[in-house]
Amino acid sequence: MKTKVTREEGQITIEFTGRLDTPAAQEANPEITPLLDEADKTIIIDCKELTYISSSGLRIFLTIRKAAEDRKGKVIVQNINNDIRSVFMMTGFLNLFEIR
Amino acid sequence: MNVRDHAKKIAEKAMKRRSRWTGLLLIVVAVAVLGAISLIQAYYAQEGIRNEAQTKAESQLNAIKSGILNVVNQAESAVRNNVWLAQWCLQVPDSLANIPRLIVNNNPIIAGSTIALVPNYYKDRPLYSPYVAITNGKIIETSLATPEYDYPSQEWFVKPVEMDRGYWSEPYVDTGGGEILMTTYSVPIKDNDGRIAAVLTADIDLEWLKALVNDIKIYPGAFSTVVSRTGRLMVSPDDNLIMNTTIDEYAATVDDTASFNALNRAMLNRESGSIQVTHNGTRNMVYYTPIDKTGWAMNIIIPEREMFTGLRKLNNLIRILQGLGLLLLILIFHAIAKSQLKFKSISEKKEKMESELMIASDIQMSMIPKTFPPFPERKDIDLSAALVPAKEVSGDLYDFFIRDEKLFFCIGDVSGKGVPASLLMAVTRSLFRSISSHQDNPKEIVSAMNNSMADMNDSNMFVTFICCVLDLKTGKMQYSNAGHNAPLVFTDKISELPVDPNLPLGIIKGRPYTLQEVDLHYDDAVFLYTDGITEAENPTHGMFGLQRLKDTLSGRKPAQDHLDNVKKAVADFVKDAPQSDDLTMLFFHYLNNPTQNKSVNSITLSNDISQIHELEKFIGKIAEDIKIPESLKSSINLAMEEAVTNVIMYSGADTVDIAAQTDEDGITFTITDSGKPFDPTAVPDVDINQNAGDRPVGGLGIHMFKKIMDSVTYRRQDNRNILTLIKKIS
Repeated sequence: MKTKVTREEGQITIEFTGRLDTPAAQEANPEITPLLDEADKTIIIDCKELTYISSSGLRIFLTIRKAAEDRKGKVIVQNINNDIRSVFMMTGFLNLFEIR
Repeated sequence: MNVRDHAKKIAEKAMKRRSRWTGLLLIVVAVAVLGAISLIQAYYAQEGIRNEAQTKAESQLNAIKSGILNVVNQAESAVRNNVWLAQWCLQVPDSLANIPRLIVNNNPIIAGSTIALVPNYYKDRPLYSPYVAITNGKIIETSLATPEYDYPSQEWFVKPVEMDRGYWSEPYVDTGGGEILMTTYSVPIKDNDGRIAAVLTADIDLEWLKALVNDIKIYPGAFSTVVSRTGRLMVSPDDNLIMNTTIDEYAATVDDTASFNALNRAMLNRESGSIQVTHNGTRNMVYYTPIDKTGWAMNIIIPEREMFTGLRKLNNLIRILQGLGLLLLILIFHAIAKSQLKFKSISEKKEKMESELMIASDIQMSMIPKTFPPFPERKDIDLSAALVPAKEVSGDLYDFFIRDEKLFFCIGDVSGKGVPASLLMAVTRSLFRSISSHQDNPKEIVSAMNNSMADMNDSNMFVTFICCVLDLKTGKMQYSNAGHNAPLVFTDKISELPVDPNLPLGIIKGRPYTLQEVDLHYDDAVFLYTDGITEAENPTHGMFGLQRLKDTLSGRKPAQDHLDNVKKAVADFVKDAPQSDDLTMLFFHYLNNPTQNKSVNSITLSNDISQIHELEKFIGKIAEDIKIPESLKSSINLAMEEAVTNVIMYSGADTVDIAAQTDEDGITFTITDSGKPFDPTAVPDVDINQNAGDRPVGGLGIHMFKKIMDSVTYRRQDNRNILTLIKKIS
């Protein structure tokens, strides 16, 4: 599991690679938390290399989403595979995010 | 004696002392109350008796008085009725003698009569007093006008003249016609000029008075006296005193002179009343009253002893009853105090011991698994066990669990009975659990247990023990025996499992134990038991024995049925003989059928979130075995990760066991932990249509595994959470 954060003008891209299971989400948390202060920007969560997500991973997505709502920012989730799409469906996350 | 016993003795002594003081106080109070009651009762009773005596005395005095007055009035009337005649006769002096004659003849109560002229009233008669008396029915007429008698100086003559009215004389003893007590009533007779010319008299004898006074007896020892105006005794129980003694003279002869004098004054002053006097050592109540006209007074004397005879009897009766009541009270109190003390100490000890034993028994029973079947989700294991303690707490134990597809089971028998045995049993069980949680080799498990127990074995107790570890997949059972009786093994026959004669646990530290092995096949069974079963005795001390046990266990039956049969057979055998030893047994029926297309896998994870990677591998291996698509594997993995994560993060359990059983229908996962009770199926569903802002961060995991799995059921058993998740595979 790898987490990569890149900043362009006015927007932040987070790339998750591999399995975002519970231990991985715990590892990723410290990298994500500082980004929440910048949630007034557009945050793109790129899931092209994300193969698996558990509720702990979803929790990270939801935390970012809530921060963006508070700061009038925007969250875009892109490139989710079918497994992750079905998890999003199961949990109602499809309706919470702008998915590309 | 230890400190606790000493303190108890002191407390008991204090309690005894306290209850003795309480008893004493109670008795003192009872005596005081009874005493007060009897004093009050005595006082009022005495008052009542005094009042009654007074009433009686007064009524007697009145009766006597009216009897006397009746006579007195008759006498007075007899005289007065002739006054006019006497006045008339003064003019014819010779006729005067007729008047006494007339009076005596017409009035039986009058013994004599005279009319005595004032000296020289008639020139020719310087003294004149014709006297008529009746003695023994004979009328005797004499004259009192003799120089010896000198009637003008006699009281009966002087006083009425002096006082110019009727007068009763002092009583006197008449010696003329026998010693008769007499009194005389005399009235002055006046002539037409108003001068006193004569005195007319009537004598009455007072014998009737004595009779009248002595006639009425209100108490047996009561008596009356009548005294004259001058205090002379007219009626007295002592005849010698009559007219010879005045009451003042008499008073001087007695001890209680003061009281007598007071009585005498009151009587001579013509008062009515009562006074207490002591006479010859006895106390008496004296009621007295004057008798009108005559100048006499009379009294009635009642010895108090007699007055209160009834009361004394009553008081004695009451005192006896009170005494008996008090005695009864003391006895009852004593009995109660004694029995309470006894009861208290016995029942306290008993209750304490029973509650301690009950607690120990509860703790002990809660240690061993006792819900059967223990692995309902596993079709390859039919296991049941039972422990029937002989005493309240037992020294036997059994235990079993599955780890990494290995069934660990054991049985043990602690030497001795009761609480100490049960404590050692608890130690044994916890050593078994802790050592076997990381050790698969029964020999090593038993050796480690032995070393720990020998270390702390101060009381030289020991445990016979046998530990078995069965590989559920292969049927290979390794075991190590520590002095326990050989288990039975059921193949095509029933035989004893060969066991090496190793020492029981806890005797010698570092002692080597041996490892033995046996292969179990489908439908084989093992029966572990303690000698409480084979050595169960009937009333004639016959033993149940191995053969009877083998006979009872014949045939293939569910494990629970075998145990029930053994229990019943032993009970039928021992009948009403007391159970002398614990009955402990474990029956395991191995049902892993290799010909069936199914397999069981399990894994035990420790309380660490990184263990999720092990779970992933475990799921991956199963998926590979049954060849399911990647996406199904991924979602099963997701569900299991969520379920297991919950346990690792929140249950507080040290480990979590995951078993997966696959067959044609699908996969059945069982997640078992001994953490705090938590039923995820009872958690309300997450509302997935809420806005981001409203959505809670938690709860998604449970939501997902419930969505992914076809069935999720929870149960709490033997203090463990057991979550069963089934995923159907079409």
